[in-house]
Amino acid sequence: MTSELDGIDLQLLLPELVMTLGLAAIIIIPNLGDAKFRIPLTSLRVPVLIGGTRFPATRDPRLPNWMTLATLSAALAASTMALLDPPSSGQVGNALEVDQFSSLLTNLFICVLILCTVSATQRLPSDPDAPAPSEGDDEESESSKTAALYDNRRQADFHILLLTLGLGMSLMAKSTHLFMLFVCLELASLSSYVLVGFHKESKEGGEAGTKYFIVGSVASAIGIYGMSLLYLWSGDLSVSGLSQSWQSMESLDPIAAAGVGMMLVAFGFKVGAAPFHLAIPDAYSGTSSMVAGVLATASKAMGFVALFRLLLTIAMPASGPAFWYGTLAVISVITMTWGNLAALSSDNPKRVFAYSSVAHAGYMLAAVSAIGSGIAEPAAQELIVMAVIFHLCVLVLFKMGPFMVLSSIEREGSSHRVSGLNGLASRDPLVAASMFVFMLSLAGVPPFSGFLSKLLMINGIVTVSAGTGGASTILSWATSVNPVFWLAVAVVLNSALSMFYYLRMGMVMFFEPNEDGESSPCNPVVRALIVSMAILSLAFGIGPPSEWLLGLAEDAAAALLS
Amino acid sequence: MGDSGNEYRLLMPLIPALLIVPVLAIAGVESVDAAFLIVLAPFIAFPVILISGQLYNGKPTWKETLKEGGVIGLSSLLVSLSTAVWILVDYLRGAREISEDAGGRVAASWIDWISFDVLHSDYTMSSERIIGVGVWVDSVTLMLLFVATFLCFLICWFSLGYMNTDPINEDRNHRFYAEFVLFAMGMFGMVLADNFLWLFIFWEIMGLCSYLLIGFYFWKESAAYAAKKAFLTTRVGDVFLMVGLLILYDIYGSLEFSVIFADPSINGTVDSDKLFWALLMLFIGAVGKSAQFPLHVWLPDAMEGPTPVSALIHAATMVNAGLYLVARMVPFVDVGHHGVPGLDELGLIVAYIGGITAFMAASIAFVQNDIKKVLAYSTMSQLAYIFTGLGVSLWFYNNGKTDAATLVFGGSMFHLFNHAMAKGMLFMASGSVIHEVHHAHDHLHEGGDHDHHDFDPQDMRNMGGLASKMPITSAAMMIGSMSIIGIPLIGGFWSKEAIVAKTWKASLDYEPLMFGPAILVLLTAGMTGFYMSRMWFMTFAGEPKHEVVEHVHESTPWIKEPLVILSIISALGGFGLSVFGIVKWLAKPYSYDLGINKDSFLDQVVYELEHAFLPDDPNLRIVGWTTIFLSLVIGPIFAARVHGGSLREGQTSGPLVSWLVWLSGKFGSQDVTEMSQSSLSEALQNRLYFDHYYELALSKTVLPFATLAAWFDRTVIDGIIKKVESNSVLGSVQIRRVTTGRASDYILMVAVGALSIFALAWGVSG
Repeated sequence: MTSELDGIDLQLLLPELVMTLGLAAIIIIPNLGDAKFRIPLTSLRVPVLIGGTRFPATRDPRLPNWMTLATLSAALAASTMALLDPPSSGQVGNALEVDQFSSLLTNLFICVLILCTVSATQRLPSDPDAPAPSEGDDEESESSKTAALYDNRRQADFHILLLTLGLGMSLMAKSTHLFMLFVCLELASLSSYVLVGFHKESKEGGEAGTKYFIVGSVASAIGIYGMSLLYLWSGDLSVSGLSQSWQSMESLDPIAAAGVGMMLVAFGFKVGAAPFHLAIPDAYSGTSSMVAGVLATASKAMGFVALFRLLLTIAMPASGPAFWYGTLAVISVITMTWGNLAALSSDNPKRVFAYSSVAHAGYMLAAVSAIGSGIAEPAAQELIVMAVIFHLCVLVLFKMGPFMVLSSIEREGSSHRVSGLNGLASRDPLVAASMFVFMLSLAGVPPFSGFLSKLLMINGIVTVSAGTGGASTILSWATSVNPVFWLAVAVVLNSALSMFYYLRMGMVMFFEPNEDGESSPCNPVVRALIVSMAILSLAFGIGPPSEWLLGLAEDAAAALLS
Repeated sequence: MGDSGNEYRLLMPLIPALLIVPVLAIAGVESVDAAFLIVLAPFIAFPVILISGQLYNGKPTWKETLKEGGVIGLSSLLVSLSTAVWILVDYLRGAREISEDAGGRVAASWIDWISFDVLHSDYTMSSERIIGVGVWVDSVTLMLLFVATFLCFLICWFSLGYMNTDPINEDRNHRFYAEFVLFAMGMFGMVLADNFLWLFIFWEIMGLCSYLLIGFYFWKESAAYAAKKAFLTTRVGDVFLMVGLLILYDIYGSLEFSVIFADPSINGTVDSDKLFWALLMLFIGAVGKSAQFPLHVWLPDAMEGPTPVSALIHAATMVNAGLYLVARMVPFVDVGHHGVPGLDELGLIVAYIGGITAFMAASIAFVQNDIKKVLAYSTMSQLAYIFTGLGVSLWFYNNGKTDAATLVFGGSMFHLFNHAMAKGMLFMASGSVIHEVHHAHDHLHEGGDHDHHDFDPQDMRNMGGLASKMPITSAAMMIGSMSIIGIPLIGGFWSKEAIVAKTWKASLDYEPLMFGPAILVLLTAGMTGFYMSRMWFMTFAGEPKHEVVEHVHESTPWIKEPLVILSIISALGGFGLSVFGIVKWLAKPYSYDLGINKDSFLDQVVYELEHAFLPDDPNLRIVGWTTIFLSLVIGPIFAARVHGGSLREGQTSGPLVSWLVWLSGKFGSQDVTEMSQSSLSEALQNRLYFDHYYELALSKTVLPFATLAAWFDRTVIDGIIKKVESNSVLGSVQIRRVTTGRASDYILMVAVGALSIFALAWGVSG
């Protein structure tokens, strides 16, 4: 890594630079004040700006939120420019590369964070005029006043963590060196652990954060150990170098296989594959909903990026099946079945969505394992990767959406039970209708985008495998067809199973009577976002918008596999 | 009622809707590529109206300014209308090449949705198949599109007056407008669809909306029953339609028009028997939708819906769908253009069904006293004319008589146009009558509603003499009736003449079996003259038969404009358009322009008149004059003798209307009490007992089976699903026990997972 960061390189990393500057600004600006330093032995006072009584502008608790939004929007603009007008050579040093794939993923991460930031205005409100508790208050109003002040105090902390998360994720998408990849992954992970435990005054929040941290660290430790094995085997950790060594390997080297297998554990934890997913429902239900949404969309996408790099680029033999495909197929079936089954009897909507997100990881893992089966043509491989990337993109809409809906209910203090959604249709018909759209899209009902993405994945699996059997009767065909085909069947059966709990959400919203009878004070900006996400969930399922996004996903898939 | 100048300020929101087309045109969009807007606009309006209604019901802005969604619906329909007109104008200008090979179609754009490989029954994968939407634009499409968009727009306009002033609809109108625009969208989409699958989908959307709208007053038992009946009866046809489409798919491997119509005979290899059955099934579907014998029973009951819905179903949308489907069968039988020979029985069947329905419906219309029911039966009868014409045209096409075939095809389609315009207006006029009579009655019995339930504002026996009270409505209704009757030079005369003449030509010159339909349509012409005149005289002429009539005023806003516009079109449109050669243009847009085809306008007029009144063939001359005699003289005179009468002394109406009323009083009156008590009359009153026997048959056959199916569904299917669910939930509870909540357990599972990965990898590689 000796290359210099010249002008072109800086431009390539513009989104990350913007985020870094924003990060620094959020740390510094809220601390600006009128503090002065008296030069010793004189009466000269020199303003040092940091500390003292803060200026009215820097004291405003809403400032971090606004700054984060501005930073993220600027980063989004920069990354969109890179996406629409890809650089001819995106190489930055030996460790990073900007291409269609990484730009698309960066866009995805930043979009998720923007949604989270907007939601945070509701879940973690800041009130510049919050009164201090006074003598005469009763216990209840005193605690609520304290909470409001508390929320004001920690605005900056929350948003610093969000930006760190974004920085880690977007750099991670660009990494072409395993070491860099892991460092960025950990940067993002550590921020997410803290975000999960952010509400430390609640028992569940702290506990969930700690558990998530412990289990995640164990998984990471295993992964780093695997990485060291890979280094032992090839002496190089760059993705391209490892890939070359792998392709020139005559028979499977146990050290290399063990290394990949152990890294699979680390990345499996990130995407939420069984049996590494156990901490996930706890984490989701313990944290605030919008953070859970970030974990379910951006963090999961991050795990898949790592998996893509590891499995599709490094551990992909020149021909024939990859050693991991059977393993991954088994894991995927267990993951989706476990997720769907466990979601069935959950009564906490956040847990239901956590398990549903586990199930979705299973679907995508099934598609990835079809790529490794050795019977997939390059075109079919690209098709499947495109389907998975498309799914990750649209997941932002209809997975982040429900969490944003939940976060608006959470303010009323009732998102820990499905019954909190009771009668939402009468309280807020627009939000309820959007929520129902999200449910249908998650379940994969046409014409929503969830249907299209699921169909594309199933289609990819079937395209790869269906032609492999040939016989006159169904029975003999069923025994002769490549086992990958049954992954498609598993996905379909699981989708049917998942209908039970997705539709239950719709049912309680529309048919159950309102429990508390209060109308929800949903922030108009958040509501507008939720509704437009529902509309986009439809638009990306049909017609020109879907073609546009599929085109982007296709370019990204081509860039990844090239 | 309010200040009407104030009312029309509500039209301000229409201006942006009107601007969309010019903006697109200036931006350089091709008109055909904008066709999706026609469907999209009402499709977007549908949820907007429905949801806004739920949110804002009762708010003054929503009620007064947006008319509970009516203005939104009107704007969306204006977008559709202006786009349709734009496409029509571009088509007529020849902005795109129209070739005979493409059947006069404009090359259309595609929107792909999903493309995927297909797994075949021999377990091989094959080429990509694309699911998408496209549009198919030719002269028939454009004519129907214009009819549908134009009438939907006017009916929606009319509804602003009709629906929103009735307190019974308060806070419920958003449902009406939402379903209205969805219905309109179904029709637009069906007409534009470029393959049979989408056609079927939109067809079903219409079926659903007809159910919802007919049952708009669902708390009335009769309305709920009528809605169910309409839905189920058309479903019978739809099932056949679906079977027909499956056979078609089996034959051609595709349902796209462009694939099928390129060569319907596939180089002469198509089995004509198989195709015959497919087309017959399609025709049965059309019979259900267009309410022809024997699936006609739903149409009169559909009058239970609000009057604008009747106008919508009868003129603008639903019933035309069946006709459109039959019109789309032409390429299959057109032996001049790769059609399949040996399908002429199909033409005969269609013509016979048409003839029978025309006669039967007209005779039932003789004795109806409900003003809307008369119109309903008249719709049935007039549609039957069109079916007869299409049947004859199919027969001609299949026997290679292309010239005659195109004339009668164009004539039938033209009759559809004339009928739609006249019938849309008649329904709105009858709505105006009903509305005002109802209001007058409410006004009269303010406070105590003692005989509110006995009084039927739709019963013509409570009317009479309304000509002086409602001059615009009576004049409009007169023109509409004249168009339907086929009074020479007005509206429907031009197209009806073509149908009757060509049916006779087929029967006299070529096919003796065509005599059945030929004689039936001829008789029906006279009968139409009778029942339409009867309706008009009963309503508008003579002495008032009920005290209510004295209090009727034509005062509701929004109602008059559509009547006036459509009166002008009905009166002059038939003559004008036939002079411009619409009949030939509809059948062969690539050979004929819609415009002056002769040397001068006068030549054209003379040619058309000569053609209509003095055809070369002496037989046709006789037929033509018999038709005119029956419909102009015999029918109306009989009606005037029974129901005619002068207005009360000193009351007048518009010039022509007054004269007609005066004339009707001159024929003296005839007592028909005896006739009306005959068994034939009673049978007709009971609609020839069709409903009765259908119900009997259903309760004997379908009901036991349905009970059995319901039992099977409840116990076996639901049982299995419930079992799966309860077992899954049990499994779920078990599996969730693994999630103990202890971090050490989780780490243990991570270790187990890591070890299993090794084991699995070992197994695979070893």
